[in-house]
Amino acid sequence: MKINIRKPEFVMKLDRLGSFHQSKLSFLRSFIREFKEWEFKCHEFELDDQGFGYAVYVVRKDKKDYSLVCFSNHLEDSERSDRVIATKWDASFVLFDGIPNSDDIVRLQANVPLQEQGRVSEKELCLSRANKSVRIFQHVVDNLAQGLQPDTKLLYDVGYLYRTTAVYGSGKFGLADRIKVQDRNELKGPFRLEMMLVYLARQFTFDQVNHIAHQRSPSTAIKLSDDIARNLGIGNSTGLGMAPFIVNHPALLNQWILAKEKSLQAIRSIEVVNISEYEKFNEYLKIIQENILFWKTNSSYQINKNENLIKDLKKFQVYISNIQLSKYFWNTVYNWVEENTEAECCELAVSLMMEIYPLIVEPFSYEMSIDEEIYFEIDASRSIADICQLIEKQYQWLLDVNFDEKENIFNFWYYSKNKQEPRMSDRFSEEGAELELPLAIARDVHALYRELKTENPNEDLATYLLKTQQYRHILRRIFICEKLPYSEIQDNTISKKLIPVDMLRLKLSFFGATRFDPRSDRWVRITMYQGAPLMKEIGKSNDTWSYKKIA
Amino acid sequence: MQSLYEIETVVKRSARAKGLSWGMAEEIAKAVRILEQSLLPGLESFKRLVDLGLTSFNPIQNPLNDEKITKICPIHFGVFFLDNLHNKQFQKQFSFLEIYEPLLILPFLKRSANKNLLNIKFASKEINFNLSPGEIVSLSNQLFPHIATKITLDFSTSRSPQYSQSTWDELYELSLETFVEETEEKKLSGAGAGLTDND
Repeated sequence: MKINIRKPEFVMKLDRLGSFHQSKLSFLRSFIREFKEWEFKCHEFELDDQGFGYAVYVVRKDKKDYSLVCFSNHLEDSERSDRVIATKWDASFVLFDGIPNSDDIVRLQANVPLQEQGRVSEKELCLSRANKSVRIFQHVVDNLAQGLQPDTKLLYDVGYLYRTTAVYGSGKFGLADRIKVQDRNELKGPFRLEMMLVYLARQFTFDQVNHIAHQRSPSTAIKLSDDIARNLGIGNSTGLGMAPFIVNHPALLNQWILAKEKSLQAIRSIEVVNISEYEKFNEYLKIIQENILFWKTNSSYQINKNENLIKDLKKFQVYISNIQLSKYFWNTVYNWVEENTEAECCELAVSLMMEIYPLIVEPFSYEMSIDEEIYFEIDASRSIADICQLIEKQYQWLLDVNFDEKENIFNFWYYSKNKQEPRMSDRFSEEGAELELPLAIARDVHALYRELKTENPNEDLATYLLKTQQYRHILRRIFICEKLPYSEIQDNTISKKLIPVDMLRLKLSFFGATRFDPRSDRWVRITMYQGAPLMKEIGKSNDTWSYKKIA
Repeated sequence: MQSLYEIETVVKRSARAKGLSWGMAEEIAKAVRILEQSLLPGLESFKRLVDLGLTSFNPIQNPLNDEKITKICPIHFGVFFLDNLHNKQFQKQFSFLEIYEPLLILPFLKRSANKNLLNIKFASKEINFNLSPGEIVSLSNQLFPHIATKITLDFSTSRSPQYSQSTWDELYELSLETFVEETEEKKLSGAGAGLTDND
C-alpha cells in the first residue's frame, strides 16, 4: 500500500505548526545522541562561597575540545529581568572552540557578562545568559545545606533552577561564523552548538547549588539527588525575536518539516506492527498523560489547548486500547487521530509513533541541515507565465485573500531601534510601517502575482526585473518553494488573527522544548532537557528519557 | 573584527536604508560578504558607493545601447548580467565608459560565470581580470611569469578586516535607519514582560 506524505497545504498551517511537540528529531535529543560518546567533565570551578566566579566545562573526543565558560555574578533582585532589554544577569555563558587559556578567561570575563554590549571573537561559538528562578534556587540551597532534599512538588511545578533569556550563535556579536564549523561531522545537525551550551549550562546550575550549600554548611550539606536533578531542565523565555527566523530561513524550515513528514510516512507504511511496539506506544501514551499535569500555564490560550489535549488523549487511549493489531496499523491509527482529535493531540500522537522507531526516525535527523546558499539564485530565464503558474500551484491559499482589507494587513514586522530585536505592531496606529521588514510574504506574493498578470506571459523574468526589483526577495522564495515545498508557512503573517506564539512553538518544538507556557500572545516560557541524563550519565543514554515519568 | 554575518547584515540594512529594494539589498550584502571572505575590501568599496549616493548612479537597461553611459552602478550592473547572461544575445563583447567600484561586480560576474558556464574577461585601463566557472580567479593571465623566485607562502585560518573601524561605524549607524523606535507600550510587552522575574 502506498502511503502519501502529508501535503504542505495541510502541514504548513500555523495552527498545526503551532501544535508540534518535541520528538526524536528534536535538536537537543539529536545533540545527546551525537555526543554521548564524548567525554564531559568539569575542567575548572572557581566559585566563591556565594557561588560567584567562573567555571569551565570541557567536552572532548580524541583531540577535539569544546568548552563552556560560565560566569556567575551577584545581581540585585531589582536588576533581575528576563526581558531581552536587560543588561545584567545572574549567569552568562560562552561556548569556546577548544580549551580557553588564562588570557582567554580574562578577555571573556570582561565581555561575556555584558552580552550584547561586549565583544567576543571567532574563537567563541555561542553566547548566552540566564537568571535564577530565585524562589526555587533558594529553596534548594536552603534544604541541601540542612541535609535535606528539596520539595519536589515545588521544584517540578517550575521545572528548572535557571532560565536562559537568549542563546546567540552564528556570527552574532563577533562570534565565529557558521562557515567555520559547518563541515565538522559532530555539528552536522541544526543548532548543535546552542544545544551543547544549554546542556552544559544546566549542569552548571546543579553544581552551583551543591557548591553554595556545601559552603554554607560543610558539615550538614548534602548534594542534590541525581533523580531530582535529572527531572530539572533549564528554562527559557522566548519572545518575538525567534519568529522571523522561520520565515527568513525557508530552506532550513523545509528540511525540519520534511524530516518529520518522511518519518511519519515511513511509519504509516509499516505493514506489520508487533505487540511490543504497540505496548511501548501505549506505555508512552500513559506516561505523557501524567507528565502533562506538570505543564503549568496561566495563558488561557494554552490552558484551553492543554485541556483539549487531555480530553483528546483520553479519547485516544480508549480507541487505542480497543483496536486490534492489523496490517498498516499505524496508518489506521494516524487516520483516526487526524479525523477525531485536534491538531495538538494529532501531532503528539505523531511524536509518540516516532518514539517507537529509532531506526527509521534517527537517520532523518542528519537531513535537517542544508546549505542555504545553493537556493539564493533566481532563475531569470523562466517565463512570466511559468512564474504565475508556480504561484498558482504553491500559493493557491493566498490568492483569494483580500489584502485591501485592514485586518489582512493589520500588523507589520520591524526591528526595534532600542534593542535590535524583531517586533510586530499595528500599522494603523503605530509609526514605522515604512521600515517594515520583508516578512509580509503572503501580501507580497499576492501583489507580485497581480503585477505579473499584467505583463507579457511569454517574456522572461529578466525583462520584468529590468522594470522593477521591488519583489526580487519574493521571487527568490518562490523558487525555493518550488524545490522545497515545506519551506513556506501557509498563513498570513501580518493578519490581525495571527498568533505569534504559534511561530515560536514551531521552532521551539524542533529544539525539543516542553511545558509551553505562553505569557502573552508574544512570548513564551518553556523548559529544555527536563528528564535528560546528567552529564556523568550521558554515555549511557539510550534516548528514551523524554517519556520517563516525572517524579 | 566583525563576523561575516555582521558584515552581510549591516550591508543589507544599509543598502535598504539608502533606497534599494530588499531583494537588491540581499544581493549586494551577499557580494560584500563574499569579497570580505576572500580578503578583498568589499566593505570599503560599498561605503564609497553609499557616500556617493546609491541611487545617484545609472543602472544599465540594455548594454547593447548603453555604451556611452557614465557613472554606472556596479550593483545594478552585476545584477543585470546575473539575470541576463542566460540569454545568448548578451554572450558577446560590450564596451562601457565608466563603472564605479568595479570590485563589487566581481562576485556577480563570478556567479554568472558559474551559472551559465561562461568565461568572462574584464579589461579596463585600470584593471584586468578573468573569471571562469572553475574555482580559480585570475587578475590577468598575462601577469604570470615563467619562473617565481624568493617565494613566501602563508597559510592561515584567520581572516583580517579589509576595512577601517570608521567605515564600519558609519555603515552600522546607517543600518540602524531601517529600525523603528519602539513605543513605551511595546517596550513593556516583549519577552519576559509583565511579571516579576524573581519568581
